[in-house]
Amino acid sequence: MSGFDIKRPIVELPDQDPEQQIPDEELVWTDAEKKKIEIWKDQYPEPEAAIMKVLWLAQEKYDYLPPEVIRFCADTLDMDHARAYGVATFYTQYYKEEEGTFVLDVCTCFTCQFTGGYDILHHLEEKLGIHAGETTDDGMFTLQSVECLGCCGSAPMMQITNGVYCHNLTTEKVDAIIDGLENGEVPEFTSVTLPQDEDEMGGNRRSDVAKTETYQTQPRAEHTE
Amino acid sequence: MEATNGTPQSKAGDWRSYDRVLLPPIEDLHQLEVYREHGGYGQLRDVLDDPDIAPGDVTTAVKESGLRGRGGAGFSTGMKWSFMPEPDDRPRYLACNADESEPGTFKDRQLMEYNPHLMFEGILLAGYAMSIDVCYVYVRGEYADWIVHMEEQLEKLYDAGLVGENILGSDFSMEIVLHKGAGAYICGEETSLLESLEGKRGYPRYKPPFPAQKGLWGCPTTINNVETLACVPLVLEKGPEWFANTGAEQHPGPVLYGISGHVNRPGVYEYPTGMLISDLIEEVCGGMRDGKEFKALVPGGSSTPPLRADQCEGTTMDSESLREAGSMMGTAGMLVLDEDTDMVSYLRRVTHFYQHESCGQCTPCREGTGWLERIVTRIDEGEGQMRDLDLLFDLCDQMEGRTICAFADAAAWPVRYTIQRFREEFEAKVKPSIHPVSADVSSGADATAPATEG
Repeated sequence: MSGFDIKRPIVELPDQDPEQQIPDEELVWTDAEKKKIEIWKDQYPEPEAAIMKVLWLAQEKYDYLPPEVIRFCADTLDMDHARAYGVATFYTQYYKEEEGTFVLDVCTCFTCQFTGGYDILHHLEEKLGIHAGETTDDGMFTLQSVECLGCCGSAPMMQITNGVYCHNLTTEKVDAIIDGLENGEVPEFTSVTLPQDEDEMGGNRRSDVAKTETYQTQPRAEHTE
Repeated sequence: MEATNGTPQSKAGDWRSYDRVLLPPIEDLHQLEVYREHGGYGQLRDVLDDPDIAPGDVTTAVKESGLRGRGGAGFSTGMKWSFMPEPDDRPRYLACNADESEPGTFKDRQLMEYNPHLMFEGILLAGYAMSIDVCYVYVRGEYADWIVHMEEQLEKLYDAGLVGENILGSDFSMEIVLHKGAGAYICGEETSLLESLEGKRGYPRYKPPFPAQKGLWGCPTTINNVETLACVPLVLEKGPEWFANTGAEQHPGPVLYGISGHVNRPGVYEYPTGMLISDLIEEVCGGMRDGKEFKALVPGGSSTPPLRADQCEGTTMDSESLREAGSMMGTAGMLVLDEDTDMVSYLRRVTHFYQHESCGQCTPCREGTGWLERIVTRIDEGEGQMRDLDLLFDLCDQMEGRTICAFADAAAWPVRYTIQRFREEFEAKVKPSIHPVSADVSSGADATAPATEG
């Protein structure tokens, strides 16, 4: 007799039939949204190609994408549920589970690794009392360690809920950002000035942004993992 | 140039007095009005107005300029364009690769922010050259703020009649559509990008058929990087000869160097190709941070093999020189590392990245990247053994060239070359071997790769 119990799966499978989170009556598009979707469908020869845009719209609307929302998006474009589900699960920025009000994506990829990305991550872990990948009890913050966000020159950096980038982070700066977020103040868009612009133009070239920063000497990392 | 015999020569010429062309010092150049005031869309107008300029002439000019793709592979842009078949009844597509997901790369974002119209004009000129119907600009989802910014500018372009039906009153029509990604490194790979544009999982496709034959929805498609397309108006404005004579002969033109890491002044800099690495670190970036010793350079994103400081001596930033030194130009996203850097820890993070980003389509890559990470982690934690180093080489052999796309190669190269070039650091971390061997010979009898480089 084998000691292996075939009834118990080796890997814990996700819930195959989870309870519906968003009631059916809420799964409708407003007229403005419908109009947007129609425009998107026309941008591609096949409407299915608009699925990524529709999923983004749904995520803005419902904050995350439980299975019923993915099915709803698929139906909107008249495509197979499985295909839409495949897309939603392939890309990391689509949230398949409910996240905190603010998702803090701290970059720890190699430049950030050597310039203090993990120091920022660990500081946030301590401050919020959670590990990377977890959400605070009050549902306010989700903390994640993410791959390169394309901001290596102004490392360490993080992104807030798939939106604004925060550059040249220090622990003081992170504390101020968290305090602000707790009061609902999301940092504004910051333009990072090119070093050559500083030399030749005396600062940032955009007159339409209020907040600018420069590239700075990057800090020394205390932790690299 | 004061460099004389024996002193390494920069191929960038008189770079200290170089005038920027990709990001010229003009305030608010990102606004359509300002861009047009400074001659913007003039090249497009000339090309459309002049009946003597045929689409093929634009391609010829780009070919003559020697422009090579700025997205990593460094393939000749004019050549790529000429792969497009003669127009038939099928629609033709251009995809602008603004996915910029290679770790260490951040130059396209700055170009999209400060001079997006140069990219748009390049798209339109490329569109004219290849009789394109629609261009999809695939921007990574993380760049949400920059997408909003470009959407505004694109709307202005439609209003001004610069994009859409009968551009500037000519019979050339072309649409530009912005497509927002959602966080997948692999979508920077050209065929994966096409899959993603079609609304699918970003699984790379087999080649052949190449995208020029069968790309988006089975139609002829060309894929170019943001910076590559932004070079096209410059080629026409200043002439292919000017472009060909700027920077390194075999890899000419202006280029955006995205320098990060342990230097005093990191950032995106525009200079000609062929800059000496030592000039970039010492003069452009103001030297190493805290006066530390320069130890290693990752010249063009995480996939390019890291170089030791001695390998960088006299090496210039162009594909020929970097190949001789044992690496690649990649995206010119340079990560500079100082003497305190632990290269095992570096490799651990890089392998983690590839493990996380493998799309999972091919077994050697899906499984291999995980093994690479676990073995390197084991070594980093002091649990590794000497034979693990050979195991890593063996794994690399089994991954390289055995998958649909080049991701597995890109994941294996950093492992192979970091170990070969910084072997003593790895050996210092593994458990003492029962049979100690010198670093010059491999620890395994069946080792397929030399333990150290020539």
